[in-house]
Amino acid sequence: MSTDKQDPAAPEEQLEQKWEIQLRKGTLELVILAALQQRTLYGLELLKLLQTFPSTAITEGTLYPLLDRLKRELLLDAQWVQEGDIRPRKYYRLTVQGQQKLQQLTRVWRQSVQDIEYLLAHPGPDPMPATGV
Amino acid sequence: MDQRQMINQYLNTLQRYLARLSPAEATEVIQEIESHIFDLIEQHQANGQTADAAAILQGFGEPRQLAAQYVAHLTTGAPPPRGFKAIVQVKKTVSAALYYSMAVFGFLTSACLLFLAGAKALTPDAVGVWAMAEGNSLTIAFLAEPFPPEQELLGMTLIPLATGLGLALFWLTQRILRVLKQLM
Repeated sequence: MSTDKQDPAAPEEQLEQKWEIQLRKGTLELVILAALQQRTLYGLELLKLLQTFPSTAITEGTLYPLLDRLKRELLLDAQWVQEGDIRPRKYYRLTVQGQQKLQQLTRVWRQSVQDIEYLLAHPGPDPMPATGV
Repeated sequence: MDQRQMINQYLNTLQRYLARLSPAEATEVIQEIESHIFDLIEQHQANGQTADAAAILQGFGEPRQLAAQYVAHLTTGAPPPRGFKAIVQVKKTVSAALYYSMAVFGFLTSACLLFLAGAKALTPDAVGVWAMAEGNSLTIAFLAEPFPPEQELLGMTLIPLATGLGLALFWLTQRILRVLKQLM
């Protein structure tokens, strides 16, 4: 935090960061649901899994309240499991509703990526094949 | 500060801020976070590193902010400032009381005026408006032994006047109640 103040990023860089943050926030629910696809994980495992990817790395302070919300929305199911003599851990997995939500979000995400990729792949001045614009 | 002490202090503070949750829910949140912290510390130690409680806690953020996310669903919409809930509650009960007293007062007065007009039409001599005590008080009365009619102020004009006032008051009360209902 303090380094931001000492070394203010260039405006473009700031804008890029802001956009990235927004994007990350918007896709976080999909990221969590996708990570728990046919997997039962506890918080720390899930956090480490997400931290292995540059675009999905989040902190504990973001992850746990979000898991709590998804559980309240009945998209996730949580269960305390005690393995051997180590302390119990809370394991999360998708509910049927969570799987449906994941499918729905996946559809929207793929459509969005496809559309943006298409736009990126067809710069002007040539008209775009589909619309002729 | 001792690592363990630091963690306990963090969890205690967090628990205080989670007071709006049910005790069972709050305990579960604390247990999960506690489990995460000690898991991490053990993993660090297993790798021969020294665990840094401060660094781990930093990932969770300020206890107040972390707790706020857990209780956010209880205060959906724009959260009113602290202590505001009680005020909203009071305001609500006032409008309910206001609504019903307005209804009773308005409709009752309106009914009285209409009744007065009806009574004047049926028994013109017994009903009237008189000025008493040399104009210091005004009496609308329904009397068995009426005052002399010539001292009465309005005579038969009381009928359209009371009817008009009664109906106007009835309409006005309805309008006011409609507005109050929206504010309730």
